[in-house]
Amino acid sequence: MSNPSEVEGARAETTARAGHGGPASDRLGWAASALALAAFAGCLAMWAAGGGAWSAPWVPTLGLRLSFSLDGLGALYALLATGIGVLVFAYGTSYLSLHLAHEHRPARERWRFWPWMALFAAAMVGLATAQDLVLLFLFFDLTAICSYFLIGFDRAEQDARRAALMALLVTVVSAVALLIAAVLLYVTYGTFAIPELIDRAGSGTATTVAAALMAVAALAKSAQVPFHFWLPKAMAAPTPVSAYLHSAAMVAAGVLVLGRVHPLLARSEAVLTGLQIVGFASIVVGGVLALSQDVLKQVLAYSTISQYGYVVLLYGIGGATASGAAAFYVLAHGVAKSALFMTAGAVTMSTGEDRLSRLGGLWHRMPVLAVSAGVAAASLAGLPLTAGFFKDELFFDAGREAGRLTTVLAVVAAVLTLGYIGRFWRLLFLGRPRTEPAAVPRMLVAPVAVLAVVSVLAGLFVQPFAALAEAAGSVTNDAAVSVSPSYHLDARPANLMAVTAWVLGGLLVTLPRLPERASALLARAGDRLGPRRGYSASLRWLFRISDAVHGREVRDLRTSIAAVLVPAGALTGLAFLVTPTVGAYAVGVVAGSDWLILPLLCLVAIATLVTARSRDRLTIVLSLSVVGFALSAVYALIAAPDIALVSVVVETTLTLVFLASLARLPGARPTPGRTDSSSAPPGVRGARSRPRWWSLLAGGVAGLASFTAIWGFLSAPTGAQGIAEEFIRRTPEAHGLDVVTVIITDFRGLDTLAEITVLLLAVVGVATLLRRGKLW
Amino acid sequence: MVTHRDVLLGGVARLLWGPSLVVAVSLIVKGYTDVGDGFAAGVVVALGISLSYLALGPEGAERVLPFLRHSPLFLVGGLVLALTAGFFPLALGEPLFSHHPAPGEDVVHIGSLELFTPLLFDLGVFLLVVGVLSVLLHQLATVDPDAGSQADEPPADQPPDDGASGRADAGRAS
Repeated sequence: MSNPSEVEGARAETTARAGHGGPASDRLGWAASALALAAFAGCLAMWAAGGGAWSAPWVPTLGLRLSFSLDGLGALYALLATGIGVLVFAYGTSYLSLHLAHEHRPARERWRFWPWMALFAAAMVGLATAQDLVLLFLFFDLTAICSYFLIGFDRAEQDARRAALMALLVTVVSAVALLIAAVLLYVTYGTFAIPELIDRAGSGTATTVAAALMAVAALAKSAQVPFHFWLPKAMAAPTPVSAYLHSAAMVAAGVLVLGRVHPLLARSEAVLTGLQIVGFASIVVGGVLALSQDVLKQVLAYSTISQYGYVVLLYGIGGATASGAAAFYVLAHGVAKSALFMTAGAVTMSTGEDRLSRLGGLWHRMPVLAVSAGVAAASLAGLPLTAGFFKDELFFDAGREAGRLTTVLAVVAAVLTLGYIGRFWRLLFLGRPRTEPAAVPRMLVAPVAVLAVVSVLAGLFVQPFAALAEAAGSVTNDAAVSVSPSYHLDARPANLMAVTAWVLGGLLVTLPRLPERASALLARAGDRLGPRRGYSASLRWLFRISDAVHGREVRDLRTSIAAVLVPAGALTGLAFLVTPTVGAYAVGVVAGSDWLILPLLCLVAIATLVTARSRDRLTIVLSLSVVGFALSAVYALIAAPDIALVSVVVETTLTLVFLASLARLPGARPTPGRTDSSSAPPGVRGARSRPRWWSLLAGGVAGLASFTAIWGFLSAPTGAQGIAEEFIRRTPEAHGLDVVTVIITDFRGLDTLAEITVLLLAVVGVATLLRRGKLW
Repeated sequence: MVTHRDVLLGGVARLLWGPSLVVAVSLIVKGYTDVGDGFAAGVVVALGISLSYLALGPEGAERVLPFLRHSPLFLVGGLVLALTAGFFPLALGEPLFSHHPAPGEDVVHIGSLELFTPLLFDLGVFLLVVGVLSVLLHQLATVDPDAGSQADEPPADQPPDDGASGRADAGRAS
């Protein structure tokens, strides 16, 4: 957006599109919006009918079920995700067309956007209603995968790609903690189902560890300190993505999980205290950093970190009041924050600017947007007549119940919120106009207005919203919760706290110098010492290690082979060390056909030595085939005719192929006694100069390990192999006489299928390497 | 440059082609009663093919055995046949690889050839092995005319590699 000519272009296109009603052409986007609307209506109808549950067996051996239930918590988040989804998708129909036109990308790129958005909405509904920890994990990761593609939608831009990868890594890697917690709980209590776990789980070490792990996963998803750094980066996404994922959906998924498993978290005082600390740290870090941000969406991103900090703090406090307050908070915040994100997108689309320092005085040009954004900002700041007032009232009540410290924290949080969101709105809409904005398409304003109306309606008639929060809070608290916010015109503590917050917050807005400087200082310190550096450093180290290992492994043919043989030998040696070996190795007697086998094996040994010593290619090939044919004869003698047959034909083919490929090798043959350094490629030279003892060592380790392994196997009494007898017994039943064929085609048919599929893949690999994938 | 040795080898290769097919067929026919199965049969046929390649050169072998051009078809067809033979019981509500006729039922015999679904699976394996080996022989034996130039310089029309640059991005992420 910084390039002036691009900005001009965008504005011209904006004007053109606005004049011709372009947005209606995004059928795909409208279809997504209609889907979301249908889902919203469905959820609402079901919820009005008293909820519902659905369950089907999934993996019966593990007791896994596909169980979904539209309980209070599920209904709250499902309605939030689908309801805001409808509006954001409608907004996106217009935004995406302009965005693609601005970037000169074809309209079919929509197909890279809307399916992910729709899948994301579906995953959110699934996550909200899932009643099983493994299901929860699956939907959790599904949202992360969708977000990867959505954040990286502008894939030509490096920042977008990095941000997408960062969001994916931070949320997916930490999501593994959720899976570990699920397994831990399953091992301890024998079920993955959340309601049963809540019934069974006591307060023990296992529960505490599992609770802490689940909290880590949830906190990373909700962009809480110290995992918060991915969210501001993720603002590289198109605005509809931010308005949806980064206000009411993806980051809400984290606190949703907290709310869902809260009864388990509440078994441990330490986990709750940890939540309080993280929540408060996020409130302060996010809030203070939001005070000095210049880029519109960055202000909102840090605000989101801070706002979900409130919710985490409430969950850390726990109990009836806090659970209800947290549920109501998520609802009120989601509505306000998506409206503000969409405001930022509309302003940027119309002016071409995305920085507060270059914007201002838009009040006269876009009064509807200004009023709607003002209402949303007021709701976020907790001013009366909006939903936000009640969210703060409930927050204050919960904070006051929890003690004096949290009372002060609550006021600090509210002051910061009013400070940064007031600054945001003031710099955007008041003051001297600095830009000449183009007309904003109606579809970029209408969703903001609708959300503003919802905020005001919730501020006037809070009862239905409070009822939903009550139901959700009851799930979180595992006991009935009463949420009854209302206006009281008296000097009760919550009102006093609110007034204090407004006064101090108002001061922050009117005297911005000092707080902005403090905020900038914190931002600089965070850049120098913050967790994002740890993320970058660990990625760099991972790549360095991976490159080092890879470089060593593929240096030449010897190292590639050693990379397989040496670890295999070392592992076998380890197994040798830890398993009892007394009596496991027997020396049998030589009798009968053994007198034929022994000379054959001697031949194999001699041929092997010749292969290793020889420098002449033809000698190597021929001695290798001697090894192969002698082994085939051994197979035939130890009564494995099927293997012997296959071995003979395969050996013959290999020998032929080897001989044929000799003709394709470069002519310069390494003659003994002289290293041909002028014609040999560098890799070969490197192999020649490698110390011999290294090759001997690698070969020795691998050879000794396989020798002991085979010796041990042959020494074992044959009676131990019960399955072979079963195969032999049942072969006539399968209409066969040759056990091996029956095993291959019938008993272990699935194995064969996998193996021949590998053959096909190998051919594709060879074709890719040699002829760019052409099979013929 | 044709030497008399090449002529001899070529003659032997042509002579052996018929017997190798016969051996392969017999391996499949008596697969369930005696040593051998589709895999071994496939390798035997491939052996005949590779002998032709060695004796007649790639062009000669592909002229004498024109069906080789359809090897990719064998490859895929074999896998599809094997997949079908293994998975069709799902449609009947039975576990994978439930062969028909089921144990205890009568099987139609033609000599030692038994007509039942494992035979289809075996044929699939056979076709796939023949396809795999002939495609590999073709790949190794014939030099792609423009392969050399491609190896030397990367084509200019190739789009910037997302994976590689993403990796580099992440490494440099600040």
